[in-house]
Amino acid sequence: MIPLELYILLASIMFTIGLYGLVTQKNGVKLMMCIELLLNSANINLVAFSAYQPNMNGQVFALFSIALAAAEAGVGFAILIALYRLYGTIDLDNINTMRW
Amino acid sequence: MYSDLAYLIVGLPVLAFVLCLFIGSRLPRGGGFLTVLATLGGLIISLGIFQEIYPRGIIHQSMRWFGDFNVGILIDPLALVMLLMVTFVVMLIHTYANGYMNGDPGANRYFAEAALFTASMLGLIYADNILQLFIFWELVGLCSYLLIGFWYRKPSAAAAAKKAFLTTRVGDVMFLAAIIVLYNNLASLNLTLNPGEYLLQFPVIYANLALIPPDQLTLIALGFLGGAVGKSGQFPLHVWLPDAMEGPTTVSAMIHAATMVTAGVYLVARMFPLFYAAPHGLTAVAAVGAFTALFAATMGLTAFDIKRVLAFSTVSQLGFMMAGLGVGAAVGAFSVGVSIFHLIGHSFFKALLFLCAGSVIHAVNTNDMREMGGVGKYMKWTMYTMLIGSLSLAGFPLFTGFFSKDEIIVIAYEYGVAINFLPYIFLVLAAVLTAIYTFRMWFSVFTGKERSNYGKHESPWVMLGPLVILAVFALAFGFVAQEGFYNYVGDNFGQYEEKFGVDVNFAELALIGGHEVLGEHGAPAEGEHPSAEAEEGHGAAGEGEAGGEEAEGEPWYIQILPIFIAIGGILIAALFYWDRAKKFDPSQVTGDKDPIRKMLLKGYYQHEIMTGWISEGIVYGTALICNTIDIKVVDGWLNWLSAWVMGFAGHVRKVQTGVVQNYVTALMLGIVVLVIAIAAIRLAMEVGLI
Repeated sequence: MIPLELYILLASIMFTIGLYGLVTQKNGVKLMMCIELLLNSANINLVAFSAYQPNMNGQVFALFSIALAAAEAGVGFAILIALYRLYGTIDLDNINTMRW
Repeated sequence: MYSDLAYLIVGLPVLAFVLCLFIGSRLPRGGGFLTVLATLGGLIISLGIFQEIYPRGIIHQSMRWFGDFNVGILIDPLALVMLLMVTFVVMLIHTYANGYMNGDPGANRYFAEAALFTASMLGLIYADNILQLFIFWELVGLCSYLLIGFWYRKPSAAAAAKKAFLTTRVGDVMFLAAIIVLYNNLASLNLTLNPGEYLLQFPVIYANLALIPPDQLTLIALGFLGGAVGKSGQFPLHVWLPDAMEGPTTVSAMIHAATMVTAGVYLVARMFPLFYAAPHGLTAVAAVGAFTALFAATMGLTAFDIKRVLAFSTVSQLGFMMAGLGVGAAVGAFSVGVSIFHLIGHSFFKALLFLCAGSVIHAVNTNDMREMGGVGKYMKWTMYTMLIGSLSLAGFPLFTGFFSKDEIIVIAYEYGVAINFLPYIFLVLAAVLTAIYTFRMWFSVFTGKERSNYGKHESPWVMLGPLVILAVFALAFGFVAQEGFYNYVGDNFGQYEEKFGVDVNFAELALIGGHEVLGEHGAPAEGEHPSAEAEEGHGAAGEGEAGGEEAEGEPWYIQILPIFIAIGGILIAALFYWDRAKKFDPSQVTGDKDPIRKMLLKGYYQHEIMTGWISEGIVYGTALICNTIDIKVVDGWLNWLSAWVMGFAGHVRKVQTGVVQNYVTALMLGIVVLVIAIAAIRLAMEVGLI
């Protein structure tokens, strides 16, 4: 059986990559992908801990989390499409009309 | 059983008000018959109450409102005679208005407002506490505003309404201030009140007058007097009254005869014990009244507008009533009887005169007496009823005005003997002028040749009927009622003992007020007051004066002087104005250039002084200062505060960059700080620091 530490290592690497992308990238689609990475790193943790314990709660939560991620992606991409229609770009640096 | 219906006296006119307002436009003549029926109902109930409680008795119903205050009905002799008078006179005026307002597109609005006016006045009369009285007092003011400005499209009417409202407001502020001072004084006494007693009820006020410091009493009395001066058109707040003629004539009749202006006199009469106890309280009343009586009479001499003559006459006669109350310092509560008698007599003949004037105006279509003349040929009924009214106003022997006005002059003489002759002198002069201007008016309208081409027809019977009824009262009321009336109303405060156990002891109050207590009148002067000597003294004097024969006191020439005053005044007027310019041309005596005549015509330039100096100078100056303070101080600190907030926010909002990466970085840093903090706390707990 694969040791738990490896799962946690995988999850933290994914989380770090996601966070790095979130901070450095400007393209809206890339940001959405980074957010997926963050969410899925959390899902790996949930499933891994659940598998090492006689308890299915974690896996159930992972299912919820995937559903949530799907909904979030749906809304997010819809916003991005609307933005693209309006501005002709999805570079988030250019989309700042709502700030002061 | 009628006393159980007392609330309906106000309730019926209120009902008429609601009906006229909402469905009046669909009823014949704007629903005017409703107002007549409502006041008729009030009159019937009042009469029923009268026969229930006459000659002794007070009706009192009261319930808690909130806190120390209550609402209630108090019908004592003073209130009862006022109720009878108001319902009766107003009913006739409403009847007349059915003819007068016929065809006016706003007739239902007129009748609605008139009904509310009536209701407010009736409520004012039988309020059992000063607060309730004040509320109705303000309602009366509001209704007068609405009615004077009834033809609101006419700029002069709108201006007159505003003037009336603002001028009376000056008095009302003083009135309210006086109520507050009175309340504070009564509240600080920590009285133990029986159930059903409330602080501002009149019996409670009367009972505790002696406990209030005299200087406070004077303050309160002057405040009340201020309210009365505003409402009753006394100098210097009389300016609104002549302008109030802008409303329909029936409104003038109502305001000047039955409702509005009598409220001020009624207030002073109602608070008479307080005025009596307050040092200088009655002196101020007498001074204001006597001065106004003469002052207004002189202006009545020169006015051309028939309604303005009557308006100045009203101001003058109200001065008589005030003076009549004021000289009560010498004669005690008896003066309340005399003054209220004049009030009621005056309401009959002044309503009559106004309605006659309305009848003339209705036919002639002008208010200017210079364009009338010879109207008597075409309007016989109006002429003779107006003659009766004029004789009564002039104080011709055996007419109502003779008994009422001249009784005031007689007690003013007693006041003169005891304290000061000035009121007496003023009143006698005013009485002479009264006779002159009254008949100047009558002669110039009804005798002589037509001076312009006007409509020549008599008014319809719905208008003449009330005239005839009022004429009967103007003719006979004084003769029939005088003695019984003086004693019934004069004894008003004496009856509080058996009903409320409140002994309104005028001898004691006189000591507080620092009056000269006369053997004859100065002692508690009610007929059936426990004090026996006062009873005798008063009884003799009252009968003597009223009947025209004197037991002791005034010499005979004082007694018969009023007769000469009236006849002399009428003769002087006849000399100048009968068949105008046949015997004497008035223009030979005074021309248009005469400065005195001009001054009188201009009302002593009071309008000029008020608008010129006071309004432009003082008011504008004050407004300028207030404006500066408003902009620099009140707005200033607020603007500074908001500017500061804006500036601060301008810096803070820079944090919102709109760049997602910045937010994520901040989020991440926040989490790192949080994790470090939690770790530090756990470490500290393990080591044992916490």
